[in-house]
Amino acid sequence: MTMLRRIFVTVALLAGLAGGVSPVFAQAPAGQQNPAQRDQQEGFVPIDQLPPQDQLPAAPLLIGAYVFVLLALFGYVFSVARRLGAVQREVQRLEGDINRSARR
Amino acid sequence: MPKWFTPAAGLCAVMFAASPLVIANAPYESTMGLVQKIFYYHMPAAWIFLIAAIVCGVASARYLFTGSITQDRVAWAAAEQVFLFGAIALVTGPLWARKAWGQWWQWDVRLTASLMGWMVSCAYILLRKYGGPGSDKLAAGLALFGAANVPFIYISVNYWRTIHPATSVVPTLPVSMGGPLWFCVVAFLLLFVLLMKMRIILEEQRTRLDSLYLSLDE
Repeated sequence: MTMLRRIFVTVALLAGLAGGVSPVFAQAPAGQQNPAQRDQQEGFVPIDQLPPQDQLPAAPLLIGAYVFVLLALFGYVFSVARRLGAVQREVQRLEGDINRSARR
Repeated sequence: MPKWFTPAAGLCAVMFAASPLVIANAPYESTMGLVQKIFYYHMPAAWIFLIAAIVCGVASARYLFTGSITQDRVAWAAAEQVFLFGAIALVTGPLWARKAWGQWWQWDVRLTASLMGWMVSCAYILLRKYGGPGSDKLAAGLALFGAANVPFIYISVNYWRTIHPATSVVPTLPVSMGGPLWFCVVAFLLLFVLLMKMRIILEEQRTRLDSLYLSLDE
């Protein structure tokens, strides 16, 4: 066995040992767990309403809805006003051209 | 623009500016709380969406039977309102539903039929814009289908099992909630009339522009 191969095998064995042993050390003894953790492990307890910190907040949805409505309305009014202005300018330009050519 | 347009536009702007204050003073709904206040813009937008679809359908029918260009202009103007107010109803609804129902969308009859009505307006606008000669008649036929869908959207909540609020909600509202709702309905109706007028004038100006180009060629 070459020197390099021996080093690889030793590192792999140590890594495997550490991976297998660490969860055993990571687990705290049952007596040291807090009551909430113990309850979660032993069974699920149903409740009627979510605790406030888990509930979906309404304000971003409400503000999002109103902002969308106002942006959509402003955007449409702006779009129609811009189109109308462009057409009216074009009409005035053409009327001017026609009047000038009629005078000649 | 007609004489009444500027005062009406001013009144409409004041009503929209005041509407957040009016809505803020309305009481909270007992089960939905704050998010239910989306209702005060969602429902008027949905009503205008349906009214505009009917206007578009009726004007299209009159255009098909009489060939009146004025009716065609009204139909095109109304189709854009269907698109605009339909988009508002279809965006604000899911924002409300996310909190009230726990999901953004439900494939129930009212929501699906409303989406279909909005897609008809998209098809109408695309057809008019890119359809070429003859697309006006085809679009008018499409508008009839859109208008026929309206009663179906309205009554669907009363005939099929759905989690969408029924039509009986509005008549049973207490004054404290009904007042702000009707205030917003009037503001949206006024806006609809103003936008229709602007859009019809735009079509009239386009027709005038076309005739000017023709006279220039001659």
